[in-house]
This record gives sequence, structure tokens and C-alpha cells, in this order.
Amino acid sequence: MANLLWLQGGACSGNTMSFLNAEEPSACDLVTDFGINILWHPSLGMELGDNLKGLLQSCISGATPLDIFVFEGSVVNAPDGTGEWNRFAGRPMKDWVRELSDVAQFVVALGDCATYGGIPAMAPNPSASKGMQFLKREHGGFLGTDFAAKSGLPVINIPGCPCHPDWVTQILVAVASGRAGDLTLDEFQRPKTFFSSFTQTGCTRNMHFAYKVSATEFGQRKGCLFYDLGCRGPMTHSPCNRILWNRQSSKTRAGMPCLGCTEPEFPFFDLEPGTLFKTQTVMGVPKDLPTGVDKTGYVKLTGAAKAASPQWAEEDMFVV
Amino acid sequence: MGGFQGKNTDSVLQQIRAMLADGLVTQTEPFPESAVEFAKILDQLRELDEDDLKGRLVIGGFTDKPYGPDEMRCQECIYFLVHREWCDLPELALPVEPDWWCRLWKI
Repeated sequence: MANLLWLQGGACSGNTMSFLNAEEPSACDLVTDFGINILWHPSLGMELGDNLKGLLQSCISGATPLDIFVFEGSVVNAPDGTGEWNRFAGRPMKDWVRELSDVAQFVVALGDCATYGGIPAMAPNPSASKGMQFLKREHGGFLGTDFAAKSGLPVINIPGCPCHPDWVTQILVAVASGRAGDLTLDEFQRPKTFFSSFTQTGCTRNMHFAYKVSATEFGQRKGCLFYDLGCRGPMTHSPCNRILWNRQSSKTRAGMPCLGCTEPEFPFFDLEPGTLFKTQTVMGVPKDLPTGVDKTGYVKLTGAAKAASPQWAEEDMFVV
Repeated sequence: MGGFQGKNTDSVLQQIRAMLADGLVTQTEPFPESAVEFAKILDQLRELDEDDLKGRLVIGGFTDKPYGPDEMRCQECIYFLVHREWCDLPELALPVEPDWWCRLWKI
């Protein structure tokens, strides 16, 4: 039996909604099949008031072993570093976060806000929000660079806005079933099993990417969304086109550009208003090229791809 | 879909060829260096009447030959459909030739 406690800071509950929609395994499977005991969760917990405080204090004192501490949302530090803008159970949430993280075997940050600060940490960041162990790309965050949970692992980051339900439950099962040693994390402390490939990996529009045929309006089923509509699929690490959403689809399959929500810079707030869904260019060349591709190679490839482009690439092959 | 989609493509192409050959002065500069500047040109194009072919050519900055030291041309532009010889940017939606260019060029 592994005790799990879940709290929310500067959050919209999107990751909770995602978790409750999990299928493989489901939230119920975690309890019935994988021995996870959910001590408390904002949408599922029964305790209120002093009973909840007592439960949290029991975890901190060690009377109730805390195996997995899950945090959703940013850690709010305003005003003036007090965290008073986000009070919970009688004190600033950040104080609970610190003390619970110190006693937990594993700490899991869910969603872009908990991992990197996300939308609340957008400049000018009025709530002084931080991620658990990062602020955007900067290592440290609320818990600091040296933090490690009792297991020895740093915060396990599962980013996304929200993160996919199965990413959450599969990582929780791995941790609860004693297979945390199998987890390898990347430089942003994301499990490599999910975040080594790109969002573009498995995208149904890859043939249009290859032949440089662009989608120019939302909902078009022909064309790649990278060239004109700001898709970040070639630069974003996620399995969104390998582990489909609702087992059916993904943003790019539905004609919606990837927004890069598993990367620390999300939501890429340096973009000018009105240009979010337009590929950022410098003198006609994309500012952010597919990872590992340089400008010279990109230009040469474009010329060759256009010259080789077959007629079918210009047509909507999905019309029935 | 605006522009000249569904119209007599050959006829429109002939008109464009003739206007450019006759020395139509178009706004080749400034080239939009950012997405914001690009969006402003699109806004201008959206204000044109649907049949305003000349307006599209002028605001788009069309030339009937490659442009600049890098010899930029429609052939390599991401809006160019090679087999249809068509500019697929919705605000233009015109028949074009591979060796033409306009300042909405993107690669």
C-alpha cells in the first residue's frame, strides 16, 4: 500500500480533470489494483477543516507515512514571499508544500504550472509563482536545486496543459509498485519514457511536413501546421501522437497546432498579441526550426522537397 | 474561401502577367521581418474587395521574377502549391508562377 496525497496551488484543476479521465490505468484501478491509498485529493477527499489539517500534520510528523506527494499548480509566493495569496488549511500553501515535500518518498509535479510555473508565472508574474523545482528553464524553482525526495529522486515532472491522463497514472503506478528505479529523467526532470520523442512523432501530417505543403487555415485536413499556423510539434517533447487523447485523436490530428505545452517556456508569452497561431519568422524563415535542423539545411531541404512534391500532397486525401 | 478560388484561373493568370509585364509598381518593401508586420499586411489584404486583383498584387509586392540576392521565388514558398501553380495563402489565393515572388514569401 502506497499513501498518496494530492494538493493544488495556483491551479485551474485541469490536471485533476485529466487524472479523473484516465483509462489505462484508471484512477479507480490505482486504488483497487495497484495498492495506492489516496489519503486526500481536492476533488475526492472527504476531510475538511481541522480533520484535514490533522491529516496533513500527521504526514509531516511521520505518523502517517507519505509515499507520494502530488502537487498540481504553481507555488504562489506573493505577496513579498509570504505566500499569503494562496492560503490552505490555515496557512500559506507553500509552507505545506515545503514540509510535505521534505517527508515524502516521491514528489510528483503535475502540469506545466507545477513543473515550470506555467501560465501563472508569465511575466510580470504578479503571484510570484514558481514551479516545484524549476522556474521556466531555470533550475531551482520553489524547492531549490538541491532538493531530493526521501527516495533520492528529485521532483518528477509531468508537464502538459494538462498532462495526459495516462502519463499521470502510469508514473504513479511505476512509483507505487517499486519500479521508480526504472524511471530515467531528462534535463527538465521529465520521464524519458514519455518525453524523448516529439509531438510530431506519429503525426498524421508528417507527409505534408516532408513535402513542405502548408495548412493555411484551421480545420484543413491537408497540409502541415508548422509552416504557417505556429505548430510547435517538431520542437516539443511529448507523446501526444503516440498516446492519443481520449484514445482517439490529438491536437494536430484535429487541425489544431501544438502549443508546446510540455516545454518550460510554455505559454511562450513573448509572442506578440494576435500572433500566437502564426509561425514566428525572421525574414521569411521560421524563428524556431525543427530541433536539430540548421537554417542552411532547412532552406536546402525546402527546395528539394518542393521540387519533389507529389500532386496528392496538395489535395485533401481524407475526403470520402 | 476568398481570392480567385474557383474563377477562370487561366484568365486571371493572363491578367497578372500583363499587369506585371506592363510595369505595375508594387510594394516589395518593406519585407515583413516579423509575424506582427506580416499580420499587418494580411489585414490590408482582407480589406480589399474580393475582385480587386490589382490591389492584391500591389499590397502583396508581387514581382514577375525572383527577388533579392537570395533569388527568393514562389517555387520555394510554403504557400505555393507546385502542381496547381497556386498561392494558397487565403488572403491572396491567386494563380502564380514558380519564378514570381511577393513579400509574403515564407520558407
